[in-house]
Amino acid sequence: PLASRQVIELQSKVVPSKQILHSDNMEMEPETMETKSVTDYFSKMHLGSLSYSCNSKRK
Amino acid sequence: DHGFHVRYRMEASCLELALEGERLCKIGDCQAGVSFFEAAVQVGTEDLKTLSAIYSQLGNAYFYLHDYTKALEYHHHDLTLARTIGDRLGEAKASGNLGNTLKVLGNFEEAIVCCQKHLEISRELYDKVGEARALYNLGNIYHSQGKNIGCIGPHDPGEFPEEVKAALQEASDYYEANLIIVTELGDRAAQGRAYGNLGNTHYLLGNFRKAVMFHEQRLLIAKEFGDRPAERRAYSNLGNAFVFLGEFEMAAEYYKRTLQLARQLKDRAVEAQSCYSLGNTYTLLQDYEKAIDYHLKHLKIAQELNDRVGEGRACWSLGNAYTALGNHDQAMHFAEKHLEISKEVGDRSGELTARLNLSDLQMVLGLSYSTNNSVLSENQDADYGFHSARSRLGRRRSMENIELVKLTPPKVQNWN
Repeated sequence: PLASRQVIELQSKVVPSKQILHSDNMEMEPETMETKSVTDYFSKMHLGSLSYSCNSKRK
Repeated sequence: DHGFHVRYRMEASCLELALEGERLCKIGDCQAGVSFFEAAVQVGTEDLKTLSAIYSQLGNAYFYLHDYTKALEYHHHDLTLARTIGDRLGEAKASGNLGNTLKVLGNFEEAIVCCQKHLEISRELYDKVGEARALYNLGNIYHSQGKNIGCIGPHDPGEFPEEVKAALQEASDYYEANLIIVTELGDRAAQGRAYGNLGNTHYLLGNFRKAVMFHEQRLLIAKEFGDRPAERRAYSNLGNAFVFLGEFEMAAEYYKRTLQLARQLKDRAVEAQSCYSLGNTYTLLQDYEKAIDYHLKHLKIAQELNDRVGEGRACWSLGNAYTALGNHDQAMHFAEKHLEISKEVGDRSGELTARLNLSDLQMVLGLSYSTNNSVLSENQDADYGFHSARSRLGRRRSMENIELVKLTPPKVQNWN
């Protein structure tokens, strides 16, 4: 009887319900980065940036 | 004109290299993309806007490759360049990217300054999209900052310090402001992100009902887009919130869906996490057989992935579940493994927990085996420096509190 009482006691304290709760695995949404592209300026000018810098070089 | 020709060729090859870098990053090969961008920088260009775009993309590529020091360096170059050429939009973007990088590096103060700059310029340019994105980034910084303060230093059990709550509240305000704009813009994907992080922020604040509401919205949008990773995240976050609401059956249902999707997406680490969560949830439901089943699944994957910390956690959980079932031999086996792994990974609190569990188990086994002089009773002599079972229990309790503060959101104290 002593042993079984011990077991019950052990049972109740070994699994403290709060202890096993964990919030570390909370899952965040992805970050967003701002993007640039070499074609941003390029497409507007149809190689304008190229010819611009080349022309300016020639002047 | 030879000089012109050489210059023209160089400009053209710089562009070609950069375009190839862009293409590679777009298909997800950032490592190769970086090589092309760096080659483009080597060739050089006189067009500072092109150079700015290259720096920016190099920064982002390094960010995705988790080389944050390099990312910081390039976003900084980009910012300087954008200012030099008076490109306000470019400056705003560079500031935002710099802010995000600083956040990851844990420099929250500077991160906030940079993202505020992003916000300020976006408003100045009436750029609603940029404004919304800056607000989202600011929410993320305050969220990280709150979590970061929450993890260090001792504080009263269950209650986060005021500054943590303040940071999380700030995060929530920014996400809400973001949500208003992206809803106006009809940008569902951005709404999904805002809902997800709002849910997580309220979860940490202890507003579990609100968290559920936001994660449900997030789930809806994920399904709308057929975005399975986002759907899986939502299930997992919903499971977590239902655990804290004490609705364990609901939690188990959501964790099962997480597990299902993790398997479909062939993500072993997430599969392991889901099994672990399910094991814990079934422990709360006092269905120890199922708990053991899931913890064993978790253990198997942890071993496969060489995740010693996860393995230790699995052993500890299994020890507890077997103890609850009265299978003390198995409980001993896992407590011993837990001790071994805790020592190996230098987990002091785990080591102490394992020693206490072992001595408790030895006590019980000593009593039940007292007639047959088992080998196990020899271990009873092991003295771990505690004088009595009473003081042992006292220590155990205080350690639980430490664990609790470290791992759980506030208000948990009021939970059961």
